[in-house]
Amino acid sequence: MKFRALLSLCAAGSLSLLTACASTEPAQDTSDFDPIEPVNRVVHGINGAVDFMVLYPAAMWYRDIAPEPVKTSVESFVRNINEPLNSFNALLQGDPEQAAASFQRFIMNSTIGLLGFNDVASDFGIPYRREDFGQTLAHYGIGGGPYIVLPLIGPSNLRDTTGLAVDYVANPLTWGAENSDTAEALYLGSIGLSALHYRYATINQLNELQKSSIDYYAALRSLYRQQRNTLIRNGAPAPATAVEDESASFDFDDAVEAASE
Amino acid sequence: MANSKIAISAATMIAIAAAWSGPSSATSLSSSVVAEVAVETSAAEVIKSMADHAMNELTDQSLADDVRRKKFVSLMDRYFEMDVVSRFVLGRYWRSISKEEIEEFSVLLQNYLALNYANQFKEFNGEQFVVGDQTQKNKDTFVNSQFVRPDGPPINIVWRMRVFDDSYKIIDVSIEGLSMGITQRDEFTSVIQQNNDDVSALTAALKAKTGL
Repeated sequence: MKFRALLSLCAAGSLSLLTACASTEPAQDTSDFDPIEPVNRVVHGINGAVDFMVLYPAAMWYRDIAPEPVKTSVESFVRNINEPLNSFNALLQGDPEQAAASFQRFIMNSTIGLLGFNDVASDFGIPYRREDFGQTLAHYGIGGGPYIVLPLIGPSNLRDTTGLAVDYVANPLTWGAENSDTAEALYLGSIGLSALHYRYATINQLNELQKSSIDYYAALRSLYRQQRNTLIRNGAPAPATAVEDESASFDFDDAVEAASE
Repeated sequence: MANSKIAISAATMIAIAAAWSGPSSATSLSSSVVAEVAVETSAAEVIKSMADHAMNELTDQSLADDVRRKKFVSLMDRYFEMDVVSRFVLGRYWRSISKEEIEEFSVLLQNYLALNYANQFKEFNGEQFVVGDQTQKNKDTFVNSQFVRPDGPPINIVWRMRVFDDSYKIIDVSIEGLSMGITQRDEFTSVIQQNNDDVSALTAALKAKTGL
């Protein structure tokens, strides 16, 4: 209980800090802000070592051994376990339709989808959409703040770390885990499966990136920022204003001007 | 926390070009009117023709890797505005090097990209590249396209183009919202920063990678 209280307190603290810079437009971060880069690089290095010893081999094994239907089922399961949070955050973002859709998905997939292992809702034309509290904050104009590489979890920023804490506290499963061993087992199992699934889902691309990049840390940092921007605007194309801003420090206009000089 | 969207690697960017076939859906010609300069071919058509070229020239499995890379570089020469791309990925550091050094960097950049992406064309197999509509935002035309795979959801690719000397040239490619230009710029400027703002550290690293 103490951990939850502490987490809530921290989340509330950084929330009040973050909301100070809120605006009316959804936030789109346009450049990397990494004031604690030396620390982040160390954590990045440790994460890489842990990954290399544990998660990477597990994901490679999973990739090569598990048949496709198993992988599809695991993906459905880890998505389904997240649906209550997707629904909750869609509601907070003032999108009751999406909240209802996520909730509907949760009910359908948990029952006729057999505990979420089958994504029948998608077959019925209700697509999956991930919404977390970091996105909710961004929806109300809160920028990412300083980049943070979290131990074990990886790339994040102050806003999304706060989001993680809020999502943890708000997650019905973590409430259940307080009182029930079954819920706790389900929660821990879902974390393990999520880690395996997401590592597997990115394995080829990250291998490629690691091989081709000159500064893997910086490339990941940039991709994390852009990926969050895309999730925040729910995959819609960037608005004209954000297009101009996306490279605020040096944009294409500057480059064109430079080339013509 | 990782999401499958990050999974769309830069590599797919070029793999798609290999796969062009089939009809394009609803090319909006109206938006090209916005361009200040009269251009002969629409932005979407330029992308189609590039895809055709890539398909014809790069997918041949019998090609030697270095030949494929050379062909890849010449395709970039033809369809990308490399002058602008090179300066963009250097960020504000382009100012600290001479014109000759930028030209040298441009060649290194092309070979670096070829090294990373040209081989993707070897694995081309049954995918389709479909060019969609184009939209105008500020000075640039964005051409939407999709890489349709037999075994997964389609990948959205957006080509950012601008008119140079009366024809559309590519200045950036975004895959599922991830811009290759911006990613490369953020990485390259970080390398330069880590080396006391010395651009030659980056060129040295690129030389080491490409063997030039």
